[in-house]
Amino acid sequence: MRDFITVFNYELKTQLFKKAAIFTTIIMMIVVLAVTFLPRIIALFDSGNPEKSMEGEMPSQAIKGAGYVLPSGPEAALLTPILGEDESLRYADKAALEQALRDKAIEVGFIIQPDLSYEALYLDRALEDKRDSQLGNILTQLKKQQLITQKGLTPQDFVAIEEAQSQGTTTVLGRNSTNNYALSFALMVVIYMVVLLYGNGVSSIIAREKDSRTMEILITSTRPSSLILGKVAAAGVSALLQFGMVVVAGIVGYQLNKSLYPEMVTTMLSGTLTSSYVWSYLFFSFFGFILYLFLFAALGSTVSKMEDLASATGIVQFLFIIGYILATFAANMPASTLSVVASIIPFTSIMVMPLRSAVMTVPWSELILSGALMLLFVAFFAFLSIKIYRWGSLNYGNKTRLSRIVKEALRGH
Amino acid sequence: MQLDINNISKSFGDKEVLHGVSFSVVSGRAMGFLGRNGAGKSTTIRCLMDVFRPDSGNFLLDGKPFKPRSLKIGYLPEERGMYQKNDVLAQLAYFARLRGATKADAVASANRWIDYFELSEFKKKKLETLSKGNQQKIQIAQSFLNEPDILILDEPFSGLDPVNAQIFKDAISEFVKEGRLVIFSSHQMGYVEEVCDDVTLIHHGNILLSGNLDEIKREEGQDKLFISVLSDDKAWERELAAAFPALAILPGDDGLILDTRGQVSQEDIMGWVSGQRLTLRRFGLYEPSLNDIFIRKAGD
Repeated sequence: MRDFITVFNYELKTQLFKKAAIFTTIIMMIVVLAVTFLPRIIALFDSGNPEKSMEGEMPSQAIKGAGYVLPSGPEAALLTPILGEDESLRYADKAALEQALRDKAIEVGFIIQPDLSYEALYLDRALEDKRDSQLGNILTQLKKQQLITQKGLTPQDFVAIEEAQSQGTTTVLGRNSTNNYALSFALMVVIYMVVLLYGNGVSSIIAREKDSRTMEILITSTRPSSLILGKVAAAGVSALLQFGMVVVAGIVGYQLNKSLYPEMVTTMLSGTLTSSYVWSYLFFSFFGFILYLFLFAALGSTVSKMEDLASATGIVQFLFIIGYILATFAANMPASTLSVVASIIPFTSIMVMPLRSAVMTVPWSELILSGALMLLFVAFFAFLSIKIYRWGSLNYGNKTRLSRIVKEALRGH
Repeated sequence: MQLDINNISKSFGDKEVLHGVSFSVVSGRAMGFLGRNGAGKSTTIRCLMDVFRPDSGNFLLDGKPFKPRSLKIGYLPEERGMYQKNDVLAQLAYFARLRGATKADAVASANRWIDYFELSEFKKKKLETLSKGNQQKIQIAQSFLNEPDILILDEPFSGLDPVNAQIFKDAISEFVKEGRLVIFSSHQMGYVEEVCDDVTLIHHGNILLSGNLDEIKREEGQDKLFISVLSDDKAWERELAAAFPALAILPGDDGLILDTRGQVSQEDIMGWVSGQRLTLRRFGLYEPSLNDIFIRKAGD
């Protein structure tokens, strides 16, 4: 235990005080904090618009930057209060409208016919410009009103007909996928990044020890179990601390700007972050992370040179990516047999089970089976990684097949 | 303390590289473990340090099983390395902690040996920023951490310049004087002769000789004379061989070794030589150097 703590302290200090680690953590905290401040930043920019409308220059349905050629007759009187009374935006004919566009006096021009059909003219049209559709909607409403009046109905009748609809409520007894999908998927991506980042970190540390021949001094000084467990624990705690700081930055930012968030966001957060989901996420993410750290550690000790590391850890990265793909599948079909199996096998349950827990009510039997298997796998792969680390300390040079390494490591060769 | 290495055999695949290796090392006497490249020195040491598990045989310390991790041992592997990107003092203190020292003692010991090897200015530097020679000294310093009772060094002199080698020899001699058990492998005979009281010679995984260096030299020099003549004329050699047919005349270091094999009187040879008109550079009892013994025994 004493040696484990010594290894843990040394490795943790080495990892936490690396300039790259400090820099990355600070950058991530700033980014997360900035994201949580987005509603406040948007509100700052939005605050200018109401001032303009208060000046009374534009009625509510006025189209910004638009000029018109209006039909003469009763339609003009009908359109004027809706489109605005600014005479400078009225043009005599199409030629005048086109000239105004070229002079950039207006951004869009509309020629409206007596039957309320229209032609829109742009000099250049932006991808998101929908002002022609906006006018189309206004004119459609007017036309409907005209027809209803002709039929002897009042505008109030028209509004009543328009607003008539069936009232219904939806109650979700379990999980609401619609709300929960986005956040749970984002949290899964966090785990994906953490496992790959720290997994590769652990395998690099061990491979470098072997490459620099530090390993022989280490294994003659203490037990391989203290070394592997200490290194993995340090990587785990380092990840928790770094990402914990990022999460704290996110929570602080959210709390400071909570009142400015759209209701949809707060509903999504409260809907997704239920206690059952949080526990499932914490349990499977944490132990799954530790499981992958042991796998990366074991593979790191099988190589003799740093340049061989990427190919050695390829298999576990491939396995992890399969888990990611299955998790995206499970988000859409959480109750399918494939999703159930994937949420039980520990290599994939790290991502699949929390996602299933977010979008459906997972039976307790599956949770218990999956959790028990996860703990068993963590214990077995911790044992195996110690054996492989010990094997790795004796074997340099020739590449050996993984199956043979496992066999020899378990035999104690 | 007495460390007994008893009948150690070790195979890699089908190839047996140690064939029942046995010898003993006692504290207060430095043991030089000699052999050519690939003779089995490092494998024996790695078996001793429990890096490799021997196929048969055992290691006993004062009659009890030798458990390296439960003893205060300083070990310098042949292929040595340390954390290139970590501070010198921090990693030496870490190694000292792993070998059982308290935090304060570990730092004190690391400081002591960094100072001893005259590297104080590099304490807070990353190892990779040091010259190769200074890195080597740090690696040697790690084996002295915690003032170990047993010091096991595999090729410690390789790569050391004469000045640093002298500092290192002084450290070993001090340890030996303090009654610690010291064993180091080398094929640099000069250093071994200067430092060691005892030697063991291994060749192709077999122990060829083991014991006190002076006695080995005496035994190797028994019934032998050495003659070195300042002349290119070799006629006297033929005359000597004709005068003493039972005498074996062997090439030596800048002269000839005359092996009487107990069949020729040394006085007769001396009488014969004094009767010749030879300009002698050296003539007397033969005292072989360790290098001579090594070449004769392990030279195939």
